[in-house]
Amino acid sequence: MSATPTIAPTVPAAALPDQAPRQLRWLVRLHRTPLLTGTALVLLTAAALLWLGGPLTDASAEAWQRYNACGFSPDCSYDQDAIVRYKDVYNYTTYAVLAVPFLVAAWAGGSLTGREMESGTARLAWTQGASPVRWLASRLALPAVLILAATGLLAWLHRLAWTAAEGRVDTTKAWNDFGTFHANGTVPMALALAGLAAGVLAGLLLRRAMAALTVAAVALGALWAAVHTTLPHLWPTVTETSGLRHGPSGQGIVVGQGVVNADGDRLDLPCHTSTLPGCKSTLSDLHAVSFYRDLHPAAHYWPLQLVASGVVLVVAALLAYAAFRLLRHRTGTARRNAG
Amino acid sequence: MVDYRIDRHSGVATYVQIVQQTKQALRLGMLAPGDKLPTAREVVEATAVNPNTVLKAYRELEREGLVEARRGLGTFVRRSLGAAPADSPLRAELDGWASRAREAGLEREDVAALFTAVLETHYPAPSPGPAHPKTLQGDPS
Amino acid sequence: MTVPAIEADAVGKRFGRRAAWALRDCSFRLPAGRVCAVVGPNGAGKSTLLAITAGLLAPTEGTVAVLGTDPATARPRVGFVDQDKPLYPQLTVAETLRMGADLNPGRWDADTAQRVVAGGDLDPRKRIRALSGGQRTRVALALALGKRPELLLLDEPMADLDPLARHELMGTLMGQAAAHGTTIVMSSHVVAELEDSCDHLLLIGGGRVRLAGEIDDLLAAHTRVSAPAGTELAPHDVVESRTTGRQLSALVRPAGPLPGDWRTGAPSLEELVLSYLRNPGAPAPAPAPETTEAAA
Repeated sequence: MSATPTIAPTVPAAALPDQAPRQLRWLVRLHRTPLLTGTALVLLTAAALLWLGGPLTDASAEAWQRYNACGFSPDCSYDQDAIVRYKDVYNYTTYAVLAVPFLVAAWAGGSLTGREMESGTARLAWTQGASPVRWLASRLALPAVLILAATGLLAWLHRLAWTAAEGRVDTTKAWNDFGTFHANGTVPMALALAGLAAGVLAGLLLRRAMAALTVAAVALGALWAAVHTTLPHLWPTVTETSGLRHGPSGQGIVVGQGVVNADGDRLDLPCHTSTLPGCKSTLSDLHAVSFYRDLHPAAHYWPLQLVASGVVLVVAALLAYAAFRLLRHRTGTARRNAG
Repeated sequence: MVDYRIDRHSGVATYVQIVQQTKQALRLGMLAPGDKLPTAREVVEATAVNPNTVLKAYRELEREGLVEARRGLGTFVRRSLGAAPADSPLRAELDGWASRAREAGLEREDVAALFTAVLETHYPAPSPGPAHPKTLQGDPS
Repeated sequence: MTVPAIEADAVGKRFGRRAAWALRDCSFRLPAGRVCAVVGPNGAGKSTLLAITAGLLAPTEGTVAVLGTDPATARPRVGFVDQDKPLYPQLTVAETLRMGADLNPGRWDADTAQRVVAGGDLDPRKRIRALSGGQRTRVALALALGKRPELLLLDEPMADLDPLARHELMGTLMGQAAAHGTTIVMSSHVVAELEDSCDHLLLIGGGRVRLAGEIDDLLAAHTRVSAPAGTELAPHDVVESRTTGRQLSALVRPAGPLPGDWRTGAPSLEELVLSYLRNPGAPAPAPAPETTEAAA
């Protein structure tokens, strides 16, 4: 950079104040309404989960107990409403926990950066004491902490509620049910962080609140779908083999199944049991020895959760990095004096 | 104290207007030796003209020996101009003359024309201002 | 000699690789302590230039030094008011000023900010979204001035103001320049608005610098002439010439003494600016000789 002047003695070079600008206070002030609304929603969902895990589970369990004791007696009474209510509240709260990352993405894209870029207030902030990079850092850091706390609390309560019903309520969702699988672990936290990063980046890129809101939510959905689809392949499976009479067996997330022939080769599954005559001849034509099934048993829950969360977190980090890079590039902050 | 009024459409350079108005105030005795001129900041806040314009005017007044800048204190009047302060006998005479002219039924323009004519006789070739006459010229056509 | 407030060297900017250049080959130097008018038609690149100087946009090519350093590093010492005067609509006037104080610790001049706002008879409890355009301008200027900047960049600062507020706020700006030696750069497409307040001119047209320098010098370097039609104007540089009937009127940059039979006059700033804008092909004057070119 040849343009750097050689004479610079008169300007106090270190006029920069020591105190950091009090940005967080104003970040909170500017987003007071979404913060209060979000807190209310989280508390409401948390209360619903506590209700679900306590009274609702007890009532439903008791109803199931009575129902099972009834046998086929026609004049048996049990509290069917309790069973239905449990199921409904369970579904709603699961949706609510899984919706949080999308709300975060929409808010981050729409309000946190998108609207500021659209209205120009971001420029106002950058020419106040906060540099663009600091501005962005504060907009990622504080929401990230709050979002982690909120989604962590909700997922933990969801898990508590689910465990409370395990073995007591007959309609408890299986561990690998889509919603239950994701809402019970660390994925909501990771997804919410990715939503934040996606929203922030979309806002910076598109500079339009509505567009950023939409794109961020859609992108998060796509990320989730991709992770969900590839997840079973990201952790080694367990193989269960079974005799030809029984068909492939084993509970969990099934990755693949088929038959094994005399040479030990794996072949596609032609049919399910040798007790059917047509199937038996097919199996013998294939020289099938046994059925096999590759699957993730319940014991794989946490490894799978952590792998999924890890992948999502890596994406979130990349998105955040891209946001910093973009901002630096746009505002020329990256150009440190080369000499 | 002087209250500068800048006329944007007079065709007279802004700093010349400040010089002229200061001199006018000195002639009329509104400014006396020892008085402090308004600071450049006060002038520009009131008139919205460029600070350098005011400083240029003050430098011009200083060059003519009318004012002096004292470091850190401000600009002060060194001497007054002319011998006709606001309450001088000459002014009183002119005042009386103007009253008589009015009683005689002269219009404002008549009086101005009469005064200018007499002024021209006694003070030929008035100079509009010091230096840079070019910027003072009106339309060439 | 002090560090110049702004020194631009062949600065260019385009938004996107295929887009047209919003600013091209822009070189000039603004000494500290000046009040500079950035003038040019709408879309000439004024806003782009100011945003680059404020460290809000990176130039595509070239470099710009602000207060002796790069724009990003200088940002804490630079005040900027955007053309649209963006402010947070949900904050009150008082909150906006408190935010300015919080975001500019160690620099904030509450008195000045307060004074600018008070001049507008503004209720400090009023929300920004309820303010008129002129009132918003006042708050935006208060934020920029409260920062006590060494360089103040104002993009069309007076556009939304009534004549009274315009005069008062321009006075405040000039007072700031007089008291602290603040360098002020303000853009406008109305030249007359800036004529008395500015001592330096940067004329931008078609993304390029058409004229740059002290206004007095620029005016002194040009002359309006009237002569009989068909008069040869060479060797003087002709910015604009027009023949009406038997009369030739022109704006020239004299290369030497002018013939005595030409009628001459000094152009006003507005005439000068308009002549250059009407004639995009007019030669730009050679930049005033500067002494700091060869530093290496």
